[in-house]
Amino acid sequence: MEGVNPYQPLTAKIAHIVDETPTIKTFVVQPRPLDFQAGQFVEVTVFGVGEAPFTPSSSAYDKEKLELTIMKVGRVTSALFNLKKGDSIGLRGPYGKPYPLEKFKGKEIFIVGGGVGFAPLRSLFLTLLHDAQDYKKIYVRYGARTPQELVYRRYIDDWNARDKVDILLTVDVGDSSWEGRVGVVTVILDDIPVKVKESPTVVCGPPIMMKFVTQRLLESGFPGSNIYLSMESNMSCGLGMCNHCRVGELYACKDGPVLTWEQIKDVDEPFV
Amino acid sequence: MNEVYLLPRRKLESVVARMVERNLIYIPVVNEGKAHFRRFRPGEPSEWALEKIRPVEPLKQFFMKFKEVVARPGASFDKSSSSQVIIGAKACDLRAIDVYDKVFSEGEFSDPFYRERREKTILISADCPEPEETCFCTLVGIQPYPMNGFDLNLSTVSKGYLVEVGSEKGIDLIKSMPTLFQPASSEDLKERDEKRASATRTLKGINSRELDPQLPKKISDQTDLKFWSREATNCVECCACLHICPTCYCFLLYDQPHDGESERVRVWDACYYAAYARVGGGANPRPEFVQRFRNRFLCKYSYFYHYQGFLACSGCGRCISGCTAKIDIREVLWRA
Repeated sequence: MEGVNPYQPLTAKIAHIVDETPTIKTFVVQPRPLDFQAGQFVEVTVFGVGEAPFTPSSSAYDKEKLELTIMKVGRVTSALFNLKKGDSIGLRGPYGKPYPLEKFKGKEIFIVGGGVGFAPLRSLFLTLLHDAQDYKKIYVRYGARTPQELVYRRYIDDWNARDKVDILLTVDVGDSSWEGRVGVVTVILDDIPVKVKESPTVVCGPPIMMKFVTQRLLESGFPGSNIYLSMESNMSCGLGMCNHCRVGELYACKDGPVLTWEQIKDVDEPFV
Repeated sequence: MNEVYLLPRRKLESVVARMVERNLIYIPVVNEGKAHFRRFRPGEPSEWALEKIRPVEPLKQFFMKFKEVVARPGASFDKSSSSQVIIGAKACDLRAIDVYDKVFSEGEFSDPFYRERREKTILISADCPEPEETCFCTLVGIQPYPMNGFDLNLSTVSKGYLVEVGSEKGIDLIKSMPTLFQPASSEDLKERDEKRASATRTLKGINSRELDPQLPKKISDQTDLKFWSREATNCVECCACLHICPTCYCFLLYDQPHDGESERVRVWDACYYAAYARVGGGANPRPEFVQRFRNRFLCKYSYFYHYQGFLACSGCGRCISGCTAKIDIREVLWRA
């Protein structure tokens, strides 16, 4: 073997686990085993089971720990959900391109999340918040099916109280305790508070939500080059070699995982 | 211009015998009319097939094994490979190595196992004087004789082999056996060049039609799924064409328990398999076979070209020979 083995993960410890919703948990990895920039992803290994790609949900500035908010959907995530505090996992990365934050400076940032798709957006949000003086304002529009399926509700009020932050939540179906908005996330896009021609907008959520939100943003006048979309793709190696994650001509793993609408507009079915 | 020597025919055996002391040697031998790469072992009789077209097996097996352990998550891992000499690779197979170099060696990340094997490999290629019906290297910009990418290249002439030196490794080899090689004469070179021109003419005869000079654009612009569906009608999705393709390099990583530990296995993969691009939750960007069929053409003739400036196709024709449905990739490209 010549040089670094990029297939070999390093070993990290789960310091604790937070139940976010019945199907979503946040795994807090401490000490932080690797550096990353907002928008990049890591490959998480459950030993003996396999690995899967996730974008961290903690701030890129948080040197103490790395958080991964994960929904149980398949084989690897089910195995992850069986792990306990103190167990070890493997990590490789970071991979992919970070958000081009230089281009975001001085602008209003419009963040739209759906379901567990808010996890990587939280990393971006916290990273932006750390340097809030560099941005005009940070808007967050976040929706889930029910109030119980909203992640990070415990933080929302504190975040919303901060200068330059404006967060609105919505749920598809409310309950007796819910006093907020009701309706799919596109409903809270009826009122877009930012200058559409110049504000970067960042979207992550389930495919159907990505599709309709993108459509709505384009109709509202956002240029495709300013709509940043987190692509879900089979990023097996993460290294730009194995080819599984191609989104048209691009590699989700090395050109993404965040791609602009401009980059993917000619792909047959970008949201799967 | 590279230096060229004459190696009398019987002396090739001496060269191989010298090299086998320190290297694994693979050389084409004929089995049921076709050339196959076989490990050379002293004393075992076999008929070398340096004049036949490329062997059945692609060269990727020597650089990326069909299946191998590449990591041990949670433990430490290292492994090294042996020095090897590959004799009789054709120009089409050298093009495939250009593809692997781009993917496994020259990107932002590189594969340490590939790099080590590449470094520890001596490539002794050979001219391809007898192209067959499945050959179409000239359609993708390759001649039936290697012009670069080899350490030494062999051209069969009446007096033996003309040996062209293509690298420092090649120079060192010649220097290590000075008594075996003689200077080549201008008659020898003339004979080689005539045989080469003859092979090129044969290929022109086999492939009467050129490919569109704008092939990458033509393939990406062909968005009519009815066209791709017609072309894929007879395909049985066996993936033989992809596994046997020298320029297909897709792989899958999977983990498995092993002796109480975990090991990470890399295995060749193929984009025709239904689950190829499927994601964690089960969603699939290419659920229909026609989408996967088209993807193969996009990958080889459009995407790769846009990133690297050349096609990920060597014109070796293995996919044509290997297809149970008798799909001829040239015809698909002509009709696209």
